[in-house]
Amino acid sequence: MRAWLYLIAAAIAGGIVTTPAILVFFLFGGSTDDALLAALATLMIVAALAVVTMKDIIRCGLAMIVCFLSLAGIYVVLGAPMVAATQVLVYIGAISVLILFAIMLTQDKVAPSRLVFQTQAVPAAIAAIILAVLISLAAIGTDWHAVTSRLRVATDALATILFKDYTLPFEVVSVLLLAAVVGGVFIAKREDPSEGEI
Amino acid sequence: MGLADSLDTYLELAGTLFAIGTFGFLARRNAISMLMSIELMLNAVNLAIVAFGAFIPALKDRGAVIALMVIAVAAAEATVGLAIVIAIFRNRKTPLVDEYDAMRR
Repeated sequence: MRAWLYLIAAAIAGGIVTTPAILVFFLFGGSTDDALLAALATLMIVAALAVVTMKDIIRCGLAMIVCFLSLAGIYVVLGAPMVAATQVLVYIGAISVLILFAIMLTQDKVAPSRLVFQTQAVPAAIAAIILAVLISLAAIGTDWHAVTSRLRVATDALATILFKDYTLPFEVVSVLLLAAVVGGVFIAKREDPSEGEI
Repeated sequence: MGLADSLDTYLELAGTLFAIGTFGFLARRNAISMLMSIELMLNAVNLAIVAFGAFIPALKDRGAVIALMVIAVAAAEATVGLAIVIAIFRNRKTPLVDEYDAMRR
């Protein structure tokens, strides 16, 4: 019985993701890239909504991985494969794993559902919707002098710029990462070794 | 139709993701959930940067470099933020932010 429920849930999830792609591809006559972008965007938005609304925080972390993965796909559609690879390596490989570790270190009993949201959740939702509308209006209303086809980012050109024009920021970022690692270890380490396990 | 060839599509997508992250940051009670919402917002900004790099010829290739820098800084931010959450959890024994009220009493 439970297996059937999982199958039905998987079918519904697949339908939610593929329906926009099929609509864009066949009804509105979009290209393959349009259909791919529609599917990835839907998956990303649904996963992001799951991150902020689900009760079980471990599932929130897993939904965040799905969100990052579909965002990496959108980077590929945009013509920036290097950024997509970095997204997978750093966000999924490092940050998500770090967050899952922190969840498992700090999670105790399953919190009752009324503990998931603050009392200001409804005003927060209204403010977020207003923010989304404002950003959309500003993005559409501004003339960005954009071209109408995507410019591909060549990885060798990217390397040239990164190590010629942006050498100083690159080195500063490496020092920042070192400082963050040292600071993180210092903050999270136990002051008194005789203190109990967390 | 040209959905994938228009800057506005990506900017609206980024705006929607940013708004979802804002909602999560304002509404969740768990400190780690709030950090995850911050990661969503950083990703939204990154998507906007890469989209600008892909559609504005003056920013070609530079958008991707800036996005790589943002990803590195986000990694540093996640490290320090999670370390702070773990340190607070060790003191207060709860991950819920509205019980961190020692300076209000």
